Amino acid sequence: MMTELGGPGVACSVTRIRRLEAGELTGDERARTEAHLAGCARCRASARELAAEREALLASLPFERFAAGIAEGLAREEAQPPRRRALRAGMALAAVLVVAAALPLLLRVVPGPGEEGWRAKGALELTVWASEGGRVRALAAGEPVPSGASLRVGLPAAGLAHAAVALVDRDGVAVLFSGPAVAGAVGDAFEWTGAEDGWLVAVLDDRPVDRDALRARLAKGGVDAAGGAGAEVIVRPLARGAP
Amino acid sequence: MARLEVIAGGRAGPAAGPLPAPPAAGLVEELYRRHAAGVLARCRYLLRDEEGARDAAQEVFVRALRALPELRASASPTAYLMTAATHHCLNVLRASRAAWREELARLARERRAAGIAPEARELVRALLGAAPQEAQEIAVLYFVDELTQAEIAEATGRSRPTVRKRLREFLAAARGALREAFPELSLPEPEELP
Repeated sequence: MMTELGGPGVACSVTRIRRLEAGELTGDERARTEAHLAGCARCRASARELAAEREALLASLPFERFAAGIAEGLAREEAQPPRRRALRAGMALAAVLVVAAALPLLLRVVPGPGEEGWRAKGALELTVWASEGGRVRALAAGEPVPSGASLRVGLPAAGLAHAAVALVDRDGVAVLFSGPAVAGAVGDAFEWTGAEDGWLVAVLDDRPVDRDALRARLAKGGVDAAGGAGAEVIVRPLARGAP
Repeated sequence: MARLEVIAGGRAGPAAGPLPAPPAAGLVEELYRRHAAGVLARCRYLLRDEEGARDAAQEVFVRALRALPELRASASPTAYLMTAATHHCLNVLRASRAAWREELARLARERRAAGIAPEARELVRALLGAAPQEAQEIAVLYFVDELTQAEIAEATGRSRPTVRKRLREFLAAARGALREAFPELSLPEPEELP
């Protein structure tokens, strides 16, 4: 007996109905899906299942409970993946995760040509925001990072699809972000602890930037080893302000 | 590694300049209204545990909020979140080392006793344990979410030939497992899949 495992039909897809109900379809696609749904028994059955899912959600996980769980999750310490935990133990380092109020960060760093230690290929600018004591301010280029300030890194609109940002200092490499190269702030806010000066390194590429490979390149070859073939690299030295 | 303290919720602050809009209560409410039912249903389907499904569903949204630019950049937030939920729950199942790999034998026992054939999605879930890791996720997106192979490629960042290969792997593993548990059932050939 041949059994049916399901899968998409020629015009049938429960995900398309989900997208319709989530308001993700527009124009022709929306009209086509609505027309199909009206005349297709299989898809109407799928729509009934989605209605049952919504009832089950309200019964099992009402919004208040959901929102409380989200708030708790966002505030919770992020579990560290095993590989990073081993690395950390091996280097006798501790990157402490803390719970803190979200802080707006504002620090625009413009890599100026000719400034020692700065490099920005293709005139790309790395943007960084900072906040201290609840007050947002812009640091001048080259101004040391105030002790205890919250930092966030921003990417330029580079026309490249993927990016990664890493912090490199005496203690090693921490990848702050890897993912789509969305212009603007990326990654979590962070406080730069430890000692001595360092660098922020952004790699922009058409291909996804593998965070582990980037970490390995930076750990082995320093900031000069950040980019692969075809990648744009922006390096911003970071100096520490007095505590 | 460089020493830093990640400030939890650090993406949630009030926007300034080009900062992305904050995930305010309105955003959480919107995510709940549009996507929570599907994500919870996916977690319940894979984990078969109400409490575990609630925890997993919330974890999926916490991670999505931490990677908000990624969610916003996705072609379909629905496909993004359902893929994330599937991925997360399959990881939970692997990490729990629970007896989910014996699902097929359990299903066969139950269905023989009841004298009825297993429902398609129930069978897919039971067959997951037989398949390689990456093929499991692709199989759920294809057979349960009814995404086309092109849509799966987009949602998972894999190429279409890779998606097709993973589906073939799933069917091959499933066919072997089915011979023992349900010898009267046979599966479609990979070439027959749209």
